[in-house]
Amino acid sequence: MFASRLIPRYTVRPVVARSTLPKVVSAPALSQWSRAYSASSDEKDLVIIGGGVAGYVAAIKAGQEGLNVTCIEKRGVLGGTCLNVGCIPSKSLLNNSHLYHQILHDTKNRGIEVGDVKLNLANLMKAKDSSVNGLTKGIEFLFKKNGVEYIKGEASFVNEHEIKVALNEGGETSVKGKNILIATGSEATPFPGLEIDEKRVITSTGALSLEKIPESMLVIGGGIIGLEMASVWSRLGTKVTVVEFLGQIGGPGMDTEVSKTIQKLLKKQGLEFKLNTKVLSGDASGEKVQLSVDSVKGGKEETLDAETVLVAIGRRPYTAGLGLENIGLETDERGRVIIDSEYRTKHPHIRSVGDVTFGPMLAHKAEEEAVAAIEHIKKGHGHVNYAAIPSVMYTHPEVAWVGQSEQDLKNQNIPYRVGTFPFSANSRAKTNLDTDGLVKMLADPETDRLLGVHIVGPNAGEMIAEGTLALEYGASSEDIARTCHAHPTLAEAFKEAAMATHGKAIHF
Amino acid sequence: MPALSPTMTEGNIAAWNVKEGDSFSAGDVLLEIETDKATMDVEAQEDGVMFKILSQGGAKGVQVGTRIAVVAEPSDDLSSLEVPAEEKASQPAGSAPKEGAAASQAGSSGSSQAQSSAVKTSGGGTYEHKLPLLPSTGHLAAQKGLSQEDLSKIKPTGPNGRLLKGDVLAFLGTIDAEVPAAISSRFEKLGHLDLSDVKVAAPKKEEPAKKEAAPAPKAPAIENLEINVPVSLSKVVEVQNKINDTLGVFLPLSTFISRAADVANADLPPASRQPTAEELFDQVLGLDKVKAAKGTRGVYLPQISAITPSSFVSASPSKKSDIIDILTAKPKKRASPPVIPTVPGLSSGANVFSLVVPKAEEERAQVFLERCKAILEEEPGRLVL
Repeated sequence: MFASRLIPRYTVRPVVARSTLPKVVSAPALSQWSRAYSASSDEKDLVIIGGGVAGYVAAIKAGQEGLNVTCIEKRGVLGGTCLNVGCIPSKSLLNNSHLYHQILHDTKNRGIEVGDVKLNLANLMKAKDSSVNGLTKGIEFLFKKNGVEYIKGEASFVNEHEIKVALNEGGETSVKGKNILIATGSEATPFPGLEIDEKRVITSTGALSLEKIPESMLVIGGGIIGLEMASVWSRLGTKVTVVEFLGQIGGPGMDTEVSKTIQKLLKKQGLEFKLNTKVLSGDASGEKVQLSVDSVKGGKEETLDAETVLVAIGRRPYTAGLGLENIGLETDERGRVIIDSEYRTKHPHIRSVGDVTFGPMLAHKAEEEAVAAIEHIKKGHGHVNYAAIPSVMYTHPEVAWVGQSEQDLKNQNIPYRVGTFPFSANSRAKTNLDTDGLVKMLADPETDRLLGVHIVGPNAGEMIAEGTLALEYGASSEDIARTCHAHPTLAEAFKEAAMATHGKAIHF
Repeated sequence: MPALSPTMTEGNIAAWNVKEGDSFSAGDVLLEIETDKATMDVEAQEDGVMFKILSQGGAKGVQVGTRIAVVAEPSDDLSSLEVPAEEKASQPAGSAPKEGAAASQAGSSGSSQAQSSAVKTSGGGTYEHKLPLLPSTGHLAAQKGLSQEDLSKIKPTGPNGRLLKGDVLAFLGTIDAEVPAAISSRFEKLGHLDLSDVKVAAPKKEEPAKKEAAPAPKAPAIENLEINVPVSLSKVVEVQNKINDTLGVFLPLSTFISRAADVANADLPPASRQPTAEELFDQVLGLDKVKAAKGTRGVYLPQISAITPSSFVSASPSKKSDIIDILTAKPKKRASPPVIPTVPGLSSGANVFSLVVPKAEEERAQVFLERCKAILEEEPGRLVL
């Protein structure tokens, strides 16, 4: 921060000026430290409860905006679910398990013969942990750099302005804030009747640190989290069956055509699916965990068993111990903190962002909201465009989408035009021998304005950024098609799909 | 009146920085607008002349979209201009048509805001489009031979007033003129969290049910408050000694306190809580009047300790609340400890008198404790003489 703020002013000066630099730097540096360590009895400009993606981003942004800010986190490390037991560690396992799987089954076709391939699960986990540690330490550094006070402990409201913190290292302190941000995130929703022990009956948290590769696994819930974890363990050798209540995998937001495509591909990789199936009850008392399931329509009751059961039926807002009742804050039926369009609760100085409140439970959505909330506090205006928030599933191939799905449009009787382009017609995908999937675009039939983009294919998660940008700018499919894309890249498939939407693709 | 935030519906005009007839250039502050949140400057987006101010400084509650002033192009001859008719009320997009260069101050707020609708002598809107044009738009314009002037007549519907392919198609008559704005309003709606149908959780009933479903530990539903009041017993000790000296009778402190509590309990304000099932039942039977006379008398006994808690006279959540108590639903009686505490850390100086009560009884308990304080600190002698 100092570098970017101060050095440019001095670069034009002769070298002699360098000696004055430390002095200049030390003044704000001192004030920042004194700010960070000021007595807790002072009222802070902003107190943030939760150091997850929403909380830490808000804290850093607030620090950059010159607010006197404190962030309270009880986990002991920053980054929240995403960094510690969510997005980040799962991506490490997904990437490395994919490599392993590829070496076992794929490299031979490419002319690479690998001898004795062995999996060292402990080291696989170690690689994951070191990624996580590096990133969490990075946030602590950013806190220091931006003058954010960091308190490790569990926060609870005493009154509308005062927060009591039970410190992790023992003792108690209290913080007062002119503004307070509730960013306490979410937790895995437990399955009634199955007690989570994170060994045999696990949530995504346990699935990220199993000590041995289970021989079989049942996954309750075929959403993004369930399918990513199912992929990891299936690649490592577990026999995985996914039980899903809905008629499609990937959750209700995924485009049905895309969902069917990825289901076929995952099935080829060895995953079993039981759709339209509800889990009636579970029993973990025996040697194997048993689930009794039935078709949603009924009449097909059966019992499934496996060494491990992963409960991935969704996440719920986490406000336990926060003392919302002490300040009269209500939640909705699903436990979400009630807010207005500017993230204010009924106490206008207390705001709430991220998983603990409304909207999709996505780290990048939380991040956007965190910045917008700080802008509301500091500048009176902030905005998140909820119409252009991408979703990504990091299976192989990846699935990514932004905007509305075909079934959405159909259900709302909105006219649309579809354009698709398969990766099997894309030169880069061909050379990579990774040609599964397609790009699908939905646009208004009259104005050609882009309504949604759905991708299943290699690197879909990276490619969706272009679709998001296009939606954000109100682009038509022609705008994408008229933008030059490098050759040979996977992104050309994106361009060709756009061409197919308002006209015709060249290569298909 | 420009919308300075997506939720702004009206604003006050704090002051105009330009007078009618004044010229201004892009970036000049034209006026200050007060909203419920802040006062913000509105800058000119382009050069111009202030032709007519319609809402003077000090105007309150001006609706977003209302014309507040008319500006003219720098080259216009003001003497020959007429104030054009007000544009039709807000278009289906739901965004407010804005007047003059004051538009799009907070442009990012809506996807369908007109960029800048400087009212011209012709009376029709002209729009200066953001450059570069989108590839499709530029291409279409060139193909159809649309001049710069033609383009400036097209009302943009894209995010931040961007001219879209659909706008040009609508202008050319290829598609229905209403379609682009309709799509924009749909995006505008999708762009916001839908908070229209928030169902507040029923707090108390749901808790026990949830407990069965999910064994995760959760905060108890019934909020018990601990109310603390510091009370000095020095005066009591004084009186105690005096009595001992003069009458030779030693009265324990607990006598003073229990008598003080007795006096303080008389005629307390009623609790502001929902009537319990029992009370409703009493009401039905007409027993409420009989019990009411008794009900105004409190049954509180203060908990006393010499240790000073972190905050005085502030309500803090009580830590212990047994789930069994909640489930058996007898919250009221538990409010007061059944036996007077054996005043372990009682000091002759400052003590803390505390009570744990349901939240609804906060006021009642507070009054009780304040009375105890007044009696014990001011005239404890009257309790025993």
